[in-house]
Amino acid sequence: MSENFLEIDNVTFVASDKNKVSNVSLNIENEGDVICLLGPSGIGKTTILRTIAGLEKIQSGKIILKNKILSSKNFHIEPEKRNISLSFQDNCLFPHYNVIQNIEFGASRNQKNKKDLTIAEVVKFLHLDHIVNKFPHEISSGEAQRASLARSLLSKPDLLLLDEPLSNVDQSFKEEIQVKLKKILNELKITTIIVTHDSYEAFYLGSKCGIILNGQLRQYDDPYNVYHFPNSVEVVNFLNRGILIPAKVTGENSLENNDLGTIKGNFIKHYPKGSNVQLLLQPEDLEHDDKSNLKLEVVDRKFRGTNFIYTLKTLSNLLIPVFVHSHHIHQHEVDEKFGIKRPINIDHIVCF
Amino acid sequence: MINYKKINIWYLSSFLISIIVAIPIVTVFSSFFETTSKYSSILQNTFLYEYILNSIILLLGVLFLTFVFGVGCAYVVSFYKFPGVNFFKWALILSFAVPAYIYAYSLTAFFENFGTAFSILKNFLGEGDYNSFIPKFDGMLGAIISISFSLFGYVYVLTRASFHYQSQNLIELGKNLGFSKKKSFFKIILPSARPAIVAGLSLVSMETLSDFGSVSFFGVSTLTTGIYNAWISFDDLVLANRLSFYLLIFILGLFTLENFSRKKAQYHTPSKGGFKSKSPVSLYGYKSFLAFMFCFIVFFISFLFPVLQMLYWTIIFPKHFVDLNIIQLSLNTILLVILSCSILISFAFISNYGNRVSKSKILELLTTFSVSGYAIPGIILAVAFITFISWFDNNVINYFNFNTIKSVFIGSILGLVIVYFVRFYSLACNGIKSGYLKINYSIDESSYLLGYSKFKTFSKIHLPYLRNSILLIGILISIEIIKELPITLIMRPFNFETFATTAYIFASQDLLEAAAAPSLFLILIASIFILVTSKYILKD
Repeated sequence: MSENFLEIDNVTFVASDKNKVSNVSLNIENEGDVICLLGPSGIGKTTILRTIAGLEKIQSGKIILKNKILSSKNFHIEPEKRNISLSFQDNCLFPHYNVIQNIEFGASRNQKNKKDLTIAEVVKFLHLDHIVNKFPHEISSGEAQRASLARSLLSKPDLLLLDEPLSNVDQSFKEEIQVKLKKILNELKITTIIVTHDSYEAFYLGSKCGIILNGQLRQYDDPYNVYHFPNSVEVVNFLNRGILIPAKVTGENSLENNDLGTIKGNFIKHYPKGSNVQLLLQPEDLEHDDKSNLKLEVVDRKFRGTNFIYTLKTLSNLLIPVFVHSHHIHQHEVDEKFGIKRPINIDHIVCF
Repeated sequence: MINYKKINIWYLSSFLISIIVAIPIVTVFSSFFETTSKYSSILQNTFLYEYILNSIILLLGVLFLTFVFGVGCAYVVSFYKFPGVNFFKWALILSFAVPAYIYAYSLTAFFENFGTAFSILKNFLGEGDYNSFIPKFDGMLGAIISISFSLFGYVYVLTRASFHYQSQNLIELGKNLGFSKKKSFFKIILPSARPAIVAGLSLVSMETLSDFGSVSFFGVSTLTTGIYNAWISFDDLVLANRLSFYLLIFILGLFTLENFSRKKAQYHTPSKGGFKSKSPVSLYGYKSFLAFMFCFIVFFISFLFPVLQMLYWTIIFPKHFVDLNIIQLSLNTILLVILSCSILISFAFISNYGNRVSKSKILELLTTFSVSGYAIPGIILAVAFITFISWFDNNVINYFNFNTIKSVFIGSILGLVIVYFVRFYSLACNGIKSGYLKINYSIDESSYLLGYSKFKTFSKIHLPYLRNSILLIGILISIEIIKELPITLIMRPFNFETFATTAYIFASQDLLEAAAAPSLFLILIASIFILVTSKYILKD
């Protein structure tokens, strides 16, 4: 018997002949855990949710929820008998019922369930008060998405699956809803899998994050580790964490790069002295210092509100991103020289 | 390959329904494997080319007129505002209530020697030889006019719906490109409505080629007449079936050609965003008068004229009206309508839901094949059904020494309703299908995920959503059944009459004045049905 709340054991999720996510093994240990799946569009994230929900069948492996097999090669429990709720990315409200009637469809399921959440509460926290009597065609896609989320939450499922739940929601509501959603999921102990392409949403909502790339689950870890200790070049590229530069290991805590010189820090993995590696250089790893003799040419500057991201060109034509607070007094224009503080210190050194 | 995992009760029901509907159609196709009588070669050497030529002339004439009146009226009422425009929007669909054969009676009655036109002239101008001045609309011309004014509604309704959903953005785009109104019409408006116009013309083609009442009344020999002659005069059922197969191929060929010519062009406006409702242009002065007159003349000729003619005769020959057993005819008609509608709609629902749930391509293909019954002339469906029952009785029932089933199915209400079922199944099936197309499949999935079973999804989600579609389909089928002639004539029980058969029998005995009252009632009932559903017809 499995000790995990949900166990996905070596399942290949098939969206089409060309598009599949192979040999996925993933567990949710405890009831109430929230995990997020991240990956580029069209990679098969939605197919994973559909398969867990029972809308697609599997050809290998098995899916077990609360010690009960839901899907295996020769066994399939129909979606209506799984007590799993899936909130679709697109508007899937019943078009001939108004918003409140749609939400009531969710509430009418599992009325004896202990998880106590009222329609009024959900309507309020999802800002649906003003549209409850409207029909799906009369509301915006963001409102429809929130109504669908309300319906799913109220159905009090054993497992809640959310497919890009806030992708159409206005930025002004988004953060507030994220906070309240997290609170509700935690308080009511609703085990949830969220699919999203927004890494910050995933890092905030999920206790664990899975990165799906090139038809495989490449990393499944807690958000901090996924962000700071990506386990492959593909994950680095997907999260857009920085760039990889060539370097040579020169000691227990140091490397050498031809353009930047010595870089010090703690390796998260041991590399023999003298080995050539690719060092992950993230925008916040370098510090601005006008007095430094290490000067690089500014080729681009992006204003991001609280900060600037400068793109600097090294002598060997590497393009390096550097993060600088936007209230920093000295701003640099394109083609100017930009000083980098030496010696360069990086907390944890990630190499490949 | 059949995927056995997909087979469930819905799949089996859908499969069975499609098979039942396909039986007469397969019987028509099977005529290729049987030998025909000598009439086949006689026909080939004599009248066959005349039948084909007449069919083509009739078809082209009707297509031209229905296109001009259907598209013309749809354009005027959709894009312009003038006095009476809201009235004409629904009034123009009343022509659906007038079957072509009743239009033919009216046309003949009005223009024949010493007919209504003659009486009017005599009343106003006194005695005179007016017959030589009054034009005669008989033969091919009469058939083309009768069928056109009876069927142009198909083109009008579909084109108007297409114009209705055409975005104002399209028209404004034309203006931005510096197009004149004429250029906008031919380059933007008309091509955008092309699928709707073609759909309307395809229905017109099928109805025209399978028309029996008006062509036989005007003595025009078409392929349908040939089919009828092969069966009635030469008792050659195989040849009759084969001729109707040619007819089917002819129709299919036409639309395949059109389909190819469209290539990959898309005509619908994306549903999400970008749609702007049209604002009709107000017309003033002579333009307003011309628009009004165009619509009024079409409305008058297509609906008022036959109604007034029939009313006139009903009034001046009250005896026929008094002799008419209206209650019995109404009860018979209602019985057929209720039975057929219930069976057709229930079965079409089951079949569509079966297809939706099982997602089987084989089932989809079988359904597509079975709905082609609408393209087969009613006569042939009736004959094919009789052929099949006779074959089944002789080869299967007889083999087991059971009692004959012929009397159960031939000349009975059951047999009549079954053939109606085959004939109008496409109407019910496609109607429900188009309703289902509007329900995204993820709606079903949402329902399953909320714990609803397939049956509950069907009853709680689909049925309420498609309520209006069901009403519309029910009424469209009712109108068709009220007007239907050849199947009713062949399959009805002895002494069982409807308004349509009563009118036809009188007319075939040259008692046009006696045919007036049942024709008038038929138009009246069909008009009420049309008015009830006009809101939905114009939208969908």
